[in-house]
Amino acid sequence: MKGRWLFVAISILGLLPVVAFLLIIVWMGFWQGNPGDPVVYTLKHYRTLFTDPTTYRTLVNTLGFASTTVVVSLLFAVPTAWLVERTDLPGKNLVFALVTIGALVPTFFTSMGWVFLLHPRIGIVNKFLVEWLGLEQGPFNIASLIGMGWVEGLGLSSIAFIMIVATYRSMDPALEEAARVHGLGIFRTLRYVTLPLTFPGIIAASIYVFTIGLSAFEVPAIIGMSNKIFTFSTYIFYKIQPLEELPSYGVAGAVSSLLVVLALLLSWGYFRVLRFSYRYAVVTGKGYRPRLIELGKRGWLVAWLFLGSYFIVGKLLPFLLLIWASLLKFFQPPSRAALEQVSLSNFYGLPWSLMLNGAWNTLILMLAVPTLALVLCLAISWTVLRSGLKWRLAFDAVAFLPHAVPHLILAIAAVFTALFLLPNVFSLYGSLAILIIVYTISRISFATRIINNSLAQIHPELEEAAFVGGLPLLQVMRKILLPLLKPALIYAWLWMSLLCYRELTMASVLVTSQENVTLPMIVWGLWLGGSLNQAAAANLVVLAFMLPAVVLYLVFGRRSRFTEAL
Amino acid sequence: MISITAVRKNFQTGDQPVAALRGINLEISKGEFFVLLGPSGSGKTTLLRSVAGLEKPDDGDISLNGKTVFSRARHISTPPEERQIGMVFQSYAIWPHLTVAENISLVLTHGRYRLSKKDAAERVRRSLTLVQLENLENRPARLLSGGQQQRVALARALAVNPALLLMDEPLSNLDARLREEVRASIKKLTSRLGITVLYVTHDQVEAMVLADRVAVMSQGQILQIGNPLELYRSPANSLVAEFFGSINWIRGKMLDSKRVETEIGTLIIDGSRAIDGSVVVGIRPEDVKLARSSNEVENRIEGKVLSSTFLGDQVVAEVKINDKILIAKALADDEKPVGNISVHLPKGRLVVFAEA
Repeated sequence: MKGRWLFVAISILGLLPVVAFLLIIVWMGFWQGNPGDPVVYTLKHYRTLFTDPTTYRTLVNTLGFASTTVVVSLLFAVPTAWLVERTDLPGKNLVFALVTIGALVPTFFTSMGWVFLLHPRIGIVNKFLVEWLGLEQGPFNIASLIGMGWVEGLGLSSIAFIMIVATYRSMDPALEEAARVHGLGIFRTLRYVTLPLTFPGIIAASIYVFTIGLSAFEVPAIIGMSNKIFTFSTYIFYKIQPLEELPSYGVAGAVSSLLVVLALLLSWGYFRVLRFSYRYAVVTGKGYRPRLIELGKRGWLVAWLFLGSYFIVGKLLPFLLLIWASLLKFFQPPSRAALEQVSLSNFYGLPWSLMLNGAWNTLILMLAVPTLALVLCLAISWTVLRSGLKWRLAFDAVAFLPHAVPHLILAIAAVFTALFLLPNVFSLYGSLAILIIVYTISRISFATRIINNSLAQIHPELEEAAFVGGLPLLQVMRKILLPLLKPALIYAWLWMSLLCYRELTMASVLVTSQENVTLPMIVWGLWLGGSLNQAAAANLVVLAFMLPAVVLYLVFGRRSRFTEAL
Repeated sequence: MISITAVRKNFQTGDQPVAALRGINLEISKGEFFVLLGPSGSGKTTLLRSVAGLEKPDDGDISLNGKTVFSRARHISTPPEERQIGMVFQSYAIWPHLTVAENISLVLTHGRYRLSKKDAAERVRRSLTLVQLENLENRPARLLSGGQQQRVALARALAVNPALLLMDEPLSNLDARLREEVRASIKKLTSRLGITVLYVTHDQVEAMVLADRVAVMSQGQILQIGNPLELYRSPANSLVAEFFGSINWIRGKMLDSKRVETEIGTLIIDGSRAIDGSVVVGIRPEDVKLARSSNEVENRIEGKVLSSTFLGDQVVAEVKINDKILIAKALADDEKPVGNISVHLPKGRLVVFAEA
């Protein structure tokens, strides 16, 4: 096929940085020195790491945080999925819409809300309880492992929900019907048939969520860092951007390498369990929907009380708290005195010129990153599925890496490369270009999997017929494949664009100047600087900017495709 | 045993409701093997699932064993677990996380009966013996072949001593040879146990072999109920005739109650009343008699053999009369019919319907 090598070349262009960044991270861990100095290799960083008690505390913190995240997200996701898939609950479309929007609400946004709600000192729930019950101190502490896991878990419950819904759908409903028909009631069917059969799916979702929790940055950064609770991600960040000492890329490299190994192991486990869970999947080809369990009016009430409190606690409450906080100069619980101080001065006082700059940069990212990612990933997917190349499976494996490797680590590798490895002519450090490059690379696994799934459903003969008719590869792509892939491409583009908007993790190390500042970074900057109320105001402005993009997504993106990428 | 009265059910497909059942009435007596036959989308599975309680009709009454299990008017809807039934699913629905024995004992220990472990084990052995799988008790169910799964599903359905056995296309996932074997054993087993069976299929041969009575369904309605012979010999309309065996159609107009002017000439029929407008005369291929010469006086027409195909036990021939081609089927003889030939259409085997 003419033009085949163009596609392979584009794929390599996209995948080479992934491999390079991983190697650089490992190399960083053994490296010592400053720019210009002769390179010295050392095991010092690993020695420091393993002898420092902070490491072990961080390890315990990280595991505790990630485990809490799993428990909390399943607590909401499993019952919600069951209600939506197996009962006659009214308003299921509403649940799906709310969950999708829930997945888009930035975690740094909810984190701030929860601080205002449950911080031991300023949190309003604690303040009320102290006042009413005459306690010494507030009973809740969001700045703890449990508290942080709670916030992260609520955020990730959307993803867990969507994954568990997928396992329900892949299961032959006749398996449950057979139990009902032969005399097992609703709860016995649930216990002896539904739960055992969906268990592997739930475990897979747990591993997935745990992997995300392990490298989650936003919640530990917003809630944990100011209270000196470090997880691995914030620990690495702290090594790169310490407050007092010099940055220690070596230690960061060592920790990152270990984290990458752990993440890869977990991903391997995830795929093992996932395959196990689909072993039970049956495609019956029968058009009937499973018999829905009748909850009755009282059941609907209980179910909606549960769902309602989930959405109120998970999304609405933090949102309301942010609005309240944004209207005050100093945060305080609602009261008559507080109401008198309500003003819009936080909004007037925002660094508007910086924010305009950030909005402009964010807009460029939202347009450039998904476009670039789609071009690269179309080439990668074509190479993997259609080229017949001997090494195509290696392409697939590398394309998966950005999913497993924490994004913070990709960003650090990029910063390190820009600072120490590339000649100064490429002034990537502190530029918008480095953001575009790293964001794009981080989305490769998501986009390739969406395109892979769609491309796999397009019969190769459709293209072969065009080849036989004499069309060159690029024309086949343009006339046959692109139109057929269009729905998937639109969906993937919109989703990636929205993720750019809320991206804070990678920005935290990549944004180093006013020139490449993004909106989430401005919010975070205000927060770190202690202007909590102003940060709340900025956050609301950012969210307002995001709204049109979310509407576009809900109108043009198809929610069903979401599951394909997990 | 089963009494179904005026049962209706609509499904919402997109914006439009699709009628799956349009007022079904059916009486099935105790010990009867009753088959619901129809093409896909005819509503037969929906009807079966309504009897099981897996589907809730929009209207009508269903009673099992004299007990009303569904009534729209009286707001009764007994959940499936409280109806005295056993069911074999099209996909078998064998629980893959359990062993063969556990698949059966689960419904005995946690279903309607709550038997003790020991009693259940005894029953499991007995029902596995019924389907000749006694040596597979401890095999994980997901390692079973299709045919074995089918038999476990049957054993599970029978283990609960159901008053009624429901079967939803239980043979459609088996290969042809196995299907014949299992078909025969289902017939033997159910008649030995004297159990009432409601059986859904789209395969007319299955219906003929198994059924005491058959209901032919199409588009949510029952077209005809009767034993296989009645359905075959005197179908109520052309749809039933077509669905229950193959048939030749000859278009024409009735001259009076006994004569039809058709595209191959005037045919004498056994009719009792004339139908206005266009009609079709139907005859089964095996009733089209071919001969070199014939002494028949009624309905004898000269034709020409276009092709004849040898199928081992029988010969199928295409015969051209005027511009009409009829299919004839006969037991295989030593010589295949060729050339000009006499075609005889016995009047007792002709059926006449108004053209649809």
